[in-house]
Amino acid sequence: MLKFYTRFFLGCASALLLVSSPALHAASSAALQQSAKRSEVSVVRVNSANQSYDFFRPWAKRNAFERHGLGAVLAGNRVLVTAELVANHNDIELERAESGEKVSAKVLCVDYEANLALLAPVDDGEGNKFFAGLKGVEIGTESVVGDRLNLLQLESNDALVQTPGPITTIEVGRYQLEGHRFLLYRMSLPLQFREGSFTAPAIDRNGKLAGLMMRYDSRSQTLELVAGPVIAHFLHDFDAHPQGKYQGFPRGGLDYASLRDPQLRHYAKLPGGSSDGVYITDVADAGPAAVAGIRAGDVLTEVAGQAIDQDGNFADPLYGRINLSHLLTKAFVGDKLPVKILRDGQAQSLQLTLSHKAPEDYVIPPYVLDAGPRYLIAGGLIFQELSRQYLKEWGGDWQKQAPQRLVYLDRYQSALVQDGRRRVVILSNVLPTASNVGYEDLNYLVVKAINGHSLGSLDDLAKALAEKPEDGFYRVEFEDFPREIFLDSAHLSEEDAKIQRTYGLPELQRLN
Amino acid sequence: MLRPRSSFVAAALAVLPLALASLSPLPPILPAAHAARVEIADIRKSLVRITTTAQEPDYKVPWNPGHIVRGVGAGFFIGNQRLMTNAHVISNARFITVEREGDPKKYQASVQFVGHDCDLAVLTVADAHFYDGLKPMEFGGIPQLESSVAAYGYPIGGERLSVTEGIVSRVDFQPYTHSSIDSHLAIQISAPINPGNSGGPVLQDGKVVGVAFQGYSGDVAQNTAYMIATPVIQHFLQDIEDGHYDRYVDLALTKMKLLNPSQRAALGLGPEQEDQGVMVGSVVPGGSSDGVLKVGDVILAVDGNAVASDGFIEINGERIEMEEVAERKFKGDELKFDILRERQPMSVVVKLKPCWPFLIQANAHDVRPRFVLFGGLLFEPLCRDFLEAFGIDDLRVRYFYDSFVSRALFVDHPEVIVLGAVLKDPVNTYFDGFRNGIVDKVNDQPIRRLEDLAAAFAEPRDYYVIQLIHEGRPIVLERKAVEAARERIKRAYNVTLEQNLGTSPIDAAAPLANDKPTTTTAALAAPGR
Repeated sequence: MLKFYTRFFLGCASALLLVSSPALHAASSAALQQSAKRSEVSVVRVNSANQSYDFFRPWAKRNAFERHGLGAVLAGNRVLVTAELVANHNDIELERAESGEKVSAKVLCVDYEANLALLAPVDDGEGNKFFAGLKGVEIGTESVVGDRLNLLQLESNDALVQTPGPITTIEVGRYQLEGHRFLLYRMSLPLQFREGSFTAPAIDRNGKLAGLMMRYDSRSQTLELVAGPVIAHFLHDFDAHPQGKYQGFPRGGLDYASLRDPQLRHYAKLPGGSSDGVYITDVADAGPAAVAGIRAGDVLTEVAGQAIDQDGNFADPLYGRINLSHLLTKAFVGDKLPVKILRDGQAQSLQLTLSHKAPEDYVIPPYVLDAGPRYLIAGGLIFQELSRQYLKEWGGDWQKQAPQRLVYLDRYQSALVQDGRRRVVILSNVLPTASNVGYEDLNYLVVKAINGHSLGSLDDLAKALAEKPEDGFYRVEFEDFPREIFLDSAHLSEEDAKIQRTYGLPELQRLN
Repeated sequence: MLRPRSSFVAAALAVLPLALASLSPLPPILPAAHAARVEIADIRKSLVRITTTAQEPDYKVPWNPGHIVRGVGAGFFIGNQRLMTNAHVISNARFITVEREGDPKKYQASVQFVGHDCDLAVLTVADAHFYDGLKPMEFGGIPQLESSVAAYGYPIGGERLSVTEGIVSRVDFQPYTHSSIDSHLAIQISAPINPGNSGGPVLQDGKVVGVAFQGYSGDVAQNTAYMIATPVIQHFLQDIEDGHYDRYVDLALTKMKLLNPSQRAALGLGPEQEDQGVMVGSVVPGGSSDGVLKVGDVILAVDGNAVASDGFIEINGERIEMEEVAERKFKGDELKFDILRERQPMSVVVKLKPCWPFLIQANAHDVRPRFVLFGGLLFEPLCRDFLEAFGIDDLRVRYFYDSFVSRALFVDHPEVIVLGAVLKDPVNTYFDGFRNGIVDKVNDQPIRRLEDLAAAFAEPRDYYVIQLIHEGRPIVLERKAVEAARERIKRAYNVTLEQNLGTSPIDAAAPLANDKPTTTTAALAAPGR
C-alpha cells in the first residue's frame, strides 16, 4: 500500500499541473483564507530518506527515495507524522521552514497499523536549539461532523498555507494496511499541491491538532485523516509505557456478519421483535474473543455496555452510529470489556481481555517494514519465509498477480495453517549454477521438510542443513510438484561460495 | 495427454471459428501446384461442404436452450458411409447438411461418433444416393519435414472448393484448443488455413496425411496452421470400432526431468543409465498410475522404449514425449514401466483409463449445463464454460479451478458447486455477499456433487442451512419462504426448468470407485439433444 500512496500522490500532482490556468489559480487562492504567522502554528518539515528491501532479491535494497512531509510539533521536542512517511527510513531530518535549519531525527515509536510515527532529535542538545520558539500543539479529540479544520501546508517559498474545509464524514475506515480499521475523518476541500505534503496536519478552531492527512483524492477532492482520538491513543500508549514497550491498538479477534436477514435471525433463535446483534462468523485462535469463550455462530449483542445493532454499529455520543470496533480500538491492551452474547437464544455475559496481535505473531506476517526479509541460500536455492509483504512485490494488483496458492494461503491462513508451523518456508527462486541444473525453473513452492524434518521456519532449515545426512544428500520436500529434489551435502558450502562470488551476493543468509 | 492450465493464462491458439469470420471478398484461389493438380479430380469425389446449425449452451441462464449459430466447415468421405470432419464443426449441432462437389442438393447428415478430445467426428447421411460416385480417401503416414502438402476446404465461407499449399514445418505435441486441455500429436504446416477449412483433408501423394483443424489468428503468427496427424485419426477410428468412443486414456501422472546430477545420484542412477530416466513428481489419485507408481519412482522405460532424462523416447527414429506410448493405446490396455524404486529396479504394469478430473478445465460440448435453482440461488458445478460465462475472479473459485487436479481437491469435491447468481426476490434480499461462494455443506451434510445438493433441498426441513467454504455466515432459507417464492421467481425470471442433473463429465469419463456407477456413457457420442 505504500507504493500505492506514492503513485496516488504523483497522480494528484500531475492533475493539478495540467489545470494550472489563471482562472483556476484565482479560484484556489480564494480558498486560502488566511496565512497565519508561522510562530502561531508549530510545524516543521520532515525529510525522510527511505529505502525498502527487495523481497525478490532479499539480500538487496531497492532504489532509495525521499519523502517530504509536514510534521506537527508536540510538547517535549517531539514531532508527529504518518508512519508511511518514515517507513523503511535510512535517515530522517527535521527542517525549520523559515530558516532551513536542520536536525537529525530518530523514530521514538511507530505504529504502521494506525499509520502514526513519533519522531525526536537524535541529539537532545541540538534538539533544544532547533525547537527554540516552537510551541507544542495539543491533540484535539472533540471534532465532529460539520466542524471546520485547517489543513496546513508549506509553499515552496516557505509560506504557510491553511486550507479550511468541513469534516464531512467520521467513520471507522481502512487505514494503510488492509484489515486495520480505525476512526477516520473525511474532509472535502480543494487541496493545492504543495511539494512536501506527504503528511500534513489539520488544526481545529482551538488550535489543536485534530488529524493528520494520509490520503487525498484530487478528483473527488476528498481528504482522509488519521483522527485526533487515534493520535491521542497512540501518544497515551507511548507515554504510559517504558521505551520499547508500546502496546498498540487492541483487537477483539472476531469477525462478524450483519444480521439483517430475518431468516438468519429466526435460525439464530433471536427473540422476535428485537433487531440487535451481529452474527459471529469467525474467532481468531487464542485471541481475546476465543479466550472469553465466544464461538462462531454466537450473536454479539452488547460491548462495553453499548447495544450493538444488526449492522455492527453502536450509538456513539459524538459520532452517532459507528462501527463497534471503535469500542475496542479506543480501549487499551489489557483492558477488560464486558460483552453480551446470545447462544441458542440464551443470553450470556462474558468478558473480553483485550490484546494486540503483533505482525510477527502471525504465521504469515501481514507486514514486514524497517527490517530485511529473512532468507537462506543453499545450493543456489533461495529459501524465504512467506509474508504478505513478499506477495505485495507483485504490485498494486498483487492479489491477482502473485502466485494464487500463496495468496490463498495468506488469505485463509487461520483455516489452512493449523499444523503448528511458526512460519511458511518457501523456495522463492533459484540462482542457476552447475550444481542446480534441472532446478532452475522451480519457484514459489512451499517447502514441507528437509530429510524428513518438517520446517517451522528458516531456523529449522538452517538446523537441518547443519546436519550431515547419512547418504550424503539433502532431500527437500515440497507441497506441490515436483514434491522432492536432492542437494549434494558434500559440495554444498563450496557451491555456495561460488554462487556468492558469481552473483555478487553480500550474504548468503539473513536469519536475525 | 492432458495438460491443465491456469485459469488466467489466455490461450494463444485460436481455433478456427466454425461461424464465418467475415464477409470480405473471397481471396484469389492459388494456382494449384503440380502435385495437387493430379489429385483434384479425386478430391472432388470425396470432399464435402458441411453447414451446421448449432445451439450453444447458456451457462448464465442454464434453463435457456441457448444461442443459435451457423457455420461452415469441410469434411471428406472415408468409406463405410462415413464422412470425417472436426468435432468443432459439428459440436452442439441441431441440424447438419452436407453438399458434394458438383451436386446442387443439400443432404441432411447426423453425427455417428465424436471425439471432443481429439477434435474428430464421423458423420453419416441417411439418403443412400448421396454416396453414389463418392470415392473414399486413403490415409498416409506422418509426412517428412519440408515436404509439400495441399489443404482442401471452403475457407471464408466460399461455396467452391479451395486448395492451398504449404510445407510441413514441425511435428510435435500441440494443445488441441477445441477441448483446451488435450495435447496430441499435430503437424504444423505453412499452408494458409482459414475458417471453413476446418475438417478438410490435407493431402500428400494422393493420401490424407492430416485433417486441418486450427491456426493462429493473423496478429499472432502467419502461415502457421495445424493439422491432426494420422496416428490420432487412426486412434479415433480404431476406438469407435466397438460402436462407442471412449476418451483418450491418460497416465495421470506428472514427471520431472532428471537433469540434476545430485538428484540422479540420490535416486540411484549410475553411469549405466546416463541421460536416462525421469522422476514421478505426482500421481493423480484414482488415475491410471495410482497405486502402481509412486512419487520418487524413476521411470527408465515405457513398454520397452528407453526414456531419456528429458522425458522423450524414440519411435521410428523420431524423438517424442513418452506419453505417446499411452496415446496409441485404449481404455483397458496395459502399459509396462521399468522403474527404479528406492534404487531397486523393478517392472510395474498400469491399466489405462481416462482421467476425468482434468475435464473441469475442458470446454464442454454436446451437454447442457448442470444446475440447481433454489430460492432464487443458482448453483452450478465449476467448469471452464461456467467460469468464462460469469467471468468469476473470486480467489476461492480460482484456487479450486487451478488446483482441482494437482491438489486432488476432487477427492472431497468431485464437483465444486458454486453459487453463480442470485435471482433477486424477497426470499434472498440479503444474500448479495454470498455470490461465487463454494458450497461445503447443507444441513451439515457434505455436498460432493450436484445430486447431493438437489437431494438436500428435496428433504422436508424447516430450514435449509447452506455452509460455504471459508465463509463463517451460513445462508439460511426457510422452507415456507422458499415455497412462497418459488412460483414468483419462476414467473418473473421465465425459469422453464429448476434443475438439470443430466450427464456430468464425471459420468461421461471414469467414475471414482466410491462414486455411483456410470449410468449413461452415450452422451459424448449423441449430440443434438
